[in-house]
Amino acid sequence: MSLIEFADFSFKYLGADSLALRKVDLKIEEGEYVVITGPSGCGKTTLCRAINGLVPQFHRGYIAGNVIVDGKNTRESSVAELAQIAGLVFQQPENQLVTLNVEREIAFGPENLGVAPEEVRRRVEELIDMLDLDHLRDKHPHEMSGGEQQRVAMAATLALKPKVLVADEPTSNLDPKSAEAILNLIAELNKRDMTVVLVEHRLDLVSKDASRVVLMDKGRLIADGAPRDVLTSDLCQEIGVGIPKATQLYKRLKKRGITLDTVPLTGAELAAIVQEVKRR
Amino acid sequence: MSFLEVFQYTRQDSVIHRLDPRAKLVMSIVLAIISLSFLSIVPLLIIFCCLIPIIAAAKSLRRWGRSMKGLSVLLIFIIVFNTLLSTATNPFSQSLALTLRLIALMTSFSVFFLTVHPDELSQALIQMRVKFEFAFAMSMAMRYVPTLGREAYAIMDAQKARGVELDKGNLLKRIRNIVPIIVPLIIVSIRRALSIAESMESRGFGASEHRTYMNPLKFRSRDWGVVIVSLLVLAIIMYTRLFIQLPPWALWQLPI
Amino acid sequence: MILLEDVHFAYDGLYTALQGVSLQIDDGERIAVMGSNGAGKTTLVKHLNGLLRPDRGRVILDGVDTKHYSVAELSREIGLVMQNPDHQLFLETVEREILFSLDNLGYSKEESKERCMRTLNDLGLEGLAERSPFTLSGGERKRVALASVLATEPRVLSLDEPTIGQDARQKDKLASMLSELNEKGKTVLVVTHDIEFVIENFPRTVAMADGRIVADGPTNSVLSNTEVIEKCSLTRPQLTDAAMCLHAIFSDVPQRITLLDDLEEAVVNVLGGT
Repeated sequence: MSLIEFADFSFKYLGADSLALRKVDLKIEEGEYVVITGPSGCGKTTLCRAINGLVPQFHRGYIAGNVIVDGKNTRESSVAELAQIAGLVFQQPENQLVTLNVEREIAFGPENLGVAPEEVRRRVEELIDMLDLDHLRDKHPHEMSGGEQQRVAMAATLALKPKVLVADEPTSNLDPKSAEAILNLIAELNKRDMTVVLVEHRLDLVSKDASRVVLMDKGRLIADGAPRDVLTSDLCQEIGVGIPKATQLYKRLKKRGITLDTVPLTGAELAAIVQEVKRR
Repeated sequence: MSFLEVFQYTRQDSVIHRLDPRAKLVMSIVLAIISLSFLSIVPLLIIFCCLIPIIAAAKSLRRWGRSMKGLSVLLIFIIVFNTLLSTATNPFSQSLALTLRLIALMTSFSVFFLTVHPDELSQALIQMRVKFEFAFAMSMAMRYVPTLGREAYAIMDAQKARGVELDKGNLLKRIRNIVPIIVPLIIVSIRRALSIAESMESRGFGASEHRTYMNPLKFRSRDWGVVIVSLLVLAIIMYTRLFIQLPPWALWQLPI
Repeated sequence: MILLEDVHFAYDGLYTALQGVSLQIDDGERIAVMGSNGAGKTTLVKHLNGLLRPDRGRVILDGVDTKHYSVAELSREIGLVMQNPDHQLFLETVEREILFSLDNLGYSKEESKERCMRTLNDLGLEGLAERSPFTLSGGERKRVALASVLATEPRVLSLDEPTIGQDARQKDKLASMLSELNEKGKTVLVVTHDIEFVIENFPRTVAMADGRIVADGPTNSVLSNTEVIEKCSLTRPQLTDAAMCLHAIFSDVPQRITLLDDLEEAVVNVLGGT
């Protein structure tokens, strides 16, 4: 059984004119790193919300079809129940920090669910250690940079021990260095067996780590596959999704009759592939 | 606004900071009641002299001093006007006493607010059986008030850049000028509130009847000590106030 | 022409944000200001239209010290579009939102109306004139906020983080719009973290760190300087990275490439004939 399964799922927000998601079919297995991308308003955020039950429990609307997460139907399970399977990280770091120090912030989720104090303390220490937050321990959110805030928000989400981390454009308000650090952290978590669903439009930064890329447009899934396949399809240009420069170059060369053996996703990959071709 | 600093939590490690917030609440209320029980200079000076060591023990004397300095203009104002307008037999002494009482009252409460972390405060309220949602709303307010302030400034800048002149024109125009500030502020606040709610919901807020605390507040012997001493002092003071005539030296007034 | 002479500024007199910034902005330029958060970029642009006044140093507009002008007066010359459109929008319709800015600057009814229509058309917002800004998408709101500043036809247009939250297509639109405005003679200045957006659209880059300008010059040379990239919390764009990786293997590939066309040529040359 898949960890996440969208079965013919459609959703329209209360008071909206059009569907936010249209007949979405999507299966995500344990251990995958799925990048979801598409133009503004394509339904990426709604898809994330549907994974932990915010849609339809918190954001009401019209639903068709089902979303099954780890065997639980999101129509019937509470967000709190689903939070222990799917942890959401949002775009605005500041709005996710609701207490005034890092320890309490991480403890907030497990405390809400009534986890025993010793266990909460253990999780807090483990996450502070794992995400390198020791120097921020007593800091007030106002005293942290956006990147640090987002790191804490991730720790706070992970404290619920979810099986999948769903991150909705977690780096769009950060400077490039901090963004890189957060994305590296997500890739690192995936290597430690965490399933990851990441919404991101800067594919040059994430496609090298992803196991799968899903393209969305107007509430529909329009492509789904390995990064190298999806990013070379013409659909990306059609809907206006920016692909990595190395991949763009691959496509240009192909048009000129030069076919590289594999599709490069990064600068280093491009150089290695060109070297390989040259050697022959 | 620097005088408000004295009501703002400061991160310190002191004897007072380590006390249970509930014990501190009792202590602060007792101190406030005592300050309110007297209106002559000598007893208030004595109370004042007892409060200073407490503030010092909380390692916050400097901050307290800064606040008082910020407040000094207002205090002098109160003394002057009260003296001029009062009908008491010795207006100056009475105004001075009033001002002393105000300072003592502020200081009593500041002992609490200076040393209780807002998160701890909500936790204390909850453990005192205050409804969880209510208590948490309070600590959230403290958390986001500075954010709101920053947002208000950003909005003012954005409108000024569009040619809104906030401090020009007659009263009516000035009032009308508030609209371009208030409307965006309300809208961004609602948006923010929604986004915060979403994030809290995703972390199980309000899910369990039996919410736990990583560091449950524990009443230690020193906390009981503080409560018992506070109540004892309160009882003695009340007794003296009600049944004993204050000696003449305690009622001493300035000769003018 | 705008001239900043050794500008110092500290918030509340305590938190130093600018420590001796000197900068010349000529008419008709396209300039990007880059740097990490807290480097002083936003503080710098707020000095251009008088929202902030220097503690020390001068800001000079066409030979006159700006301390003689009010913010409203400067705003006629220097338009500033803030990062969050929600901080400006408050009226019932998009059209009234734009008329409001024009009213503030004292244009006549007819003139306002005409300018409003022209701006809406220029930005492709004519269909939204009667809509409420609050029902629009984030990208659309951003364009309305831009329109409300643009309608006053300032000579200098400065934008704080215009690309945040915009997808690739919206970014392209923004870029072509800015270059059109620039061709009409407007000076365009952006504050941004988006290094690819800068490389593709802005010939000059000012890099800031800790309230100082650490580099100022042609974008290509500023942004291929590893030290600047490091100081400003930037990351090397993939194209530059690809060029450097290729250069390490094939010395005839130039080390500094910023255009995809050039990289393509370089790779074709390397592979020669294949």
